[in-house]
Amino acid sequence: MVAEPAPIAATAEIESEVWRIGAEIHAALPSPARHPVRALDARAIQASSEDLELRAALFRLVDVTPACRSLDDLAGHLGEYLEEVQEPTPPLSAAMRAAHTRTGRRALGAAASLGIRHMAHRFIVGETPEEALGTLRQLWSSGVASSLDLLGEATVTADEADRYARRCDAALEAMASAAADWPGRPALESDPAGPVPRANLSVKVTALTPLLHAEAPDLGVEDAARRVRPLLRRAAELGAHLHFDMESLDTLETTLELALALLTEEEFREQPSAGIVLQAYLRDSTAMLERVFDWARSHRRSSPLSVRLVKGAYWDHEIVEARQEGWPAPVFETKAECDRSFERLTRRLLEARPLVRVAVASHNLRSISHALACDRILGGDGRDLELQVLRGLGDDLAEALADRGLRVRAYCPVGDLVSGMAYLVRRLLENTANESFLGQQQRGAPLEELLAPP
Amino acid sequence: MIPPPFRNEPTLELRRPGERDALAAALRELDRRLPLNVPALIAGEQGTSSGIESRDPGDPERIVAVAGAASGGDAAAAVETGAAGLREWGARRAEERATVLVRAAAILRDRRHELAALEVLECAKPWPEADADVCEAIDHLTYYASGALELERGPDLIQARGERNAMRFAPLGVVAVIAPWNFPLAIPAGMTAAALAAGNAVVLKPAEQSPGCALALIEALHEAGVPVRALGLLPGYGEAGATLVRDPGVHAIAFTGSSPVGLEIVRAAAQTPEGQDHVKRVVAEMGGKNCVIVDSDADLDQAVPAIVSSAFGYAGQKCSAAARVIAHEAIAEPLLERLLGAVEVLRVGQAAEFGIDVPPLIEPQATERVEGYADRARLDGRIAFEAVGVPAEGCFCPPRVVTDLDPDSPVLHEEIFGPLLAFESVPSVEVACDLVESLPFGLTGGLFSRSPVTVKAVAARLPVGNLYVNREITGAKVGRQPFGGNRLSGVGSKAGGPGYLVQFAEPRVLSEDTTRHGLLLD
Repeated sequence: MVAEPAPIAATAEIESEVWRIGAEIHAALPSPARHPVRALDARAIQASSEDLELRAALFRLVDVTPACRSLDDLAGHLGEYLEEVQEPTPPLSAAMRAAHTRTGRRALGAAASLGIRHMAHRFIVGETPEEALGTLRQLWSSGVASSLDLLGEATVTADEADRYARRCDAALEAMASAAADWPGRPALESDPAGPVPRANLSVKVTALTPLLHAEAPDLGVEDAARRVRPLLRRAAELGAHLHFDMESLDTLETTLELALALLTEEEFREQPSAGIVLQAYLRDSTAMLERVFDWARSHRRSSPLSVRLVKGAYWDHEIVEARQEGWPAPVFETKAECDRSFERLTRRLLEARPLVRVAVASHNLRSISHALACDRILGGDGRDLELQVLRGLGDDLAEALADRGLRVRAYCPVGDLVSGMAYLVRRLLENTANESFLGQQQRGAPLEELLAPP
Repeated sequence: MIPPPFRNEPTLELRRPGERDALAAALRELDRRLPLNVPALIAGEQGTSSGIESRDPGDPERIVAVAGAASGGDAAAAVETGAAGLREWGARRAEERATVLVRAAAILRDRRHELAALEVLECAKPWPEADADVCEAIDHLTYYASGALELERGPDLIQARGERNAMRFAPLGVVAVIAPWNFPLAIPAGMTAAALAAGNAVVLKPAEQSPGCALALIEALHEAGVPVRALGLLPGYGEAGATLVRDPGVHAIAFTGSSPVGLEIVRAAAQTPEGQDHVKRVVAEMGGKNCVIVDSDADLDQAVPAIVSSAFGYAGQKCSAAARVIAHEAIAEPLLERLLGAVEVLRVGQAAEFGIDVPPLIEPQATERVEGYADRARLDGRIAFEAVGVPAEGCFCPPRVVTDLDPDSPVLHEEIFGPLLAFESVPSVEVACDLVESLPFGLTGGLFSRSPVTVKAVAARLPVGNLYVNREITGAKVGRQPFGGNRLSGVGSKAGGPGYLVQFAEPRVLSEDTTRHGLLLD
């Protein structure tokens, strides 16, 4: 078990900066009146997060939707899930009754299908990269860069991995050619280290190889490398950025080793622009960061390795797996510990510049304000730091940050409903977690609470 | 000492390189000490010490253990010694027995790296499964230690006024444990620990393929304090086991293995020859033909990896392994395509390498048997996938998926115990249930469905002992998934669950009139 390192003393100076910046950003967030649809979504999500059984029913429905063969089938499943809600509210009882008749099922199925599609479209920017290009351009014009993420079913075969790699290749091509016509946005396309690519693709190692074995990471590295090399080559040709997403701890070693090994190869020593992800919830995240720094010190690149700091999205999985196997939890178990880790790593990353490029990905006003405050105190002006949000969750925040002239990037998933479901469930879970920042904000928590040190 | 509340022994976190290094080092160290010497142990005395060689299935040149091939005379001596040991061990309080079992668990825990390495070499268990087997052996010891205390307390009976009633459990006597090689520590440990926990003496006849693992178990139990006369080791071939089963001094037989042998034991145990004044009890875990039903609303992302690991993990050599996939026709085509692709990327190789999915089979006869079924599958259906380029040295057998089988084909009805998976498409889950019900077995089953109603309906219909929903159908954990089959797959209660220990004990009820002259005295 690794003990949590001592927190960096929160100086009064940082705290007052956090407060000042946080209050400004908060004031710039649009009021619900400006976005009535978003406010409605927020209310619906809020209602379901207060009723755990209903929340479970909703997730199960979202999860099964792509496998349903008809509206009737979908409504049938919905009816079954609702049966398990102990004390249904009147509208739910009406839905359950509807599920018992054929016409009722059709109407219910249509309503459920519409609702799920509506939610999916909030988080997923299109079924294909081409479909997403309009949104990417709009974002860019409004001062928000993007990273495209291709959603897909799990990769269990070599064919599936090949197909995914081809989709990545096509996405790079489509983005790069579309981005060439985008208007100039100096804040988004350069930083003190040099130019920042417009086209940016995030890839997942689990999609690029079926050979993932937690106990034999080399197998996955070797197999995925065959598919990732051409992508790096293509990104270099097109002047695009390739980012290696991080998933569960079982694949961390494979992902990190793959990224660092490939970027060490002669062909990729300078280009393309590339990045990895650091998950703050991992107890070992500091050690991982030091390992990345060591690598970066011995492999200086003209476009430095980008490190995206995230909280980590596989918390439930890590906890469940550890409990079932009897292992110590590899992740911090409280939100406060995760948040403190996030701030420590933020500071460590910002201090290490220009060894690496830093991207802070969070929807937490405190974490973002803290990053900006640290940057300021370390003598930065916000240009040497990127902020990232998820499309559909952090849209307001992105807008407010872009208005301050900061470099903001929205993570934009692309895919059809079938492949997007797992992603959608993950985002909904995140959004309905009561202790999440978004939950707090939706409850109308006061600024003192939103900006309190963890 | 009261044993702490049971919790499953944590597996090694093999995603951490340090753990893998420790295992690899243990294997190198063990390799230097081979071959191990495994004599028969009767009253702690070394008996017959040659006649059996266990070999590394991946490298048949490597002899892992040289064991004694016990004779009929050895078996009789072992039972007689057991009867003497019973008086000593059976007289101990449950708490003392529990303490000994917990101590034995601690000894196995201390040796866990070495024991996992031994399973890798002697039985070609890939590392994660070898480690899980060591953990399960530890689990059985600690679980039945707790169970011994509960058994001694006995159940609560109705106490009417004027009488006092109690139900107590006494040991049965000498228990013959006949164990397989496929879970070379966990299964012998489970049967042995249960019998010992209930106060019996045990004679363990391990499979001739895994005497080295059995010796490690016996050593741990002796060292922990089981009297040597109460626990004998009888390595040998089938004949030693058969003699043991027929011995009139044996009171119960705990067996895990194939159905034909299990049924033979049931028949033999039914005999009550002159001079045997008890009926032998049999607890038997036997074969299966385990089916996984995949409904149209299943999550194939989840189903494919789970089916592949259930069917091909340890090359299919688990009684719980998946043998048939019965898929709803609406998703049969994409499911089959993805399954074939997923089987294609399985790694066939030496168990000692990390990341191997399909190790060699236990011995050449096993390969011949599976190849026989593959030939039959070619006649009765179609081999949709067969891995190429499996290593020529060692007992390797290519993973296969077969389809379009004649409904009467033995490939669909008999236990193959190897890396061969049959795939069928059906119009509905009801038809799938009919197919499962028509089998004589009832061990494990699987269902992939996201409909709560379907899950309930299938669970109510299938006669299997362990039904797994939306997960792999192997890897039962002690205390969490008590394990055992119904129908011709087994007789007796589930291992690693409540009710298992009582099978090794003789219930005795004591009722006392507490009145005197019609007066209540209590």
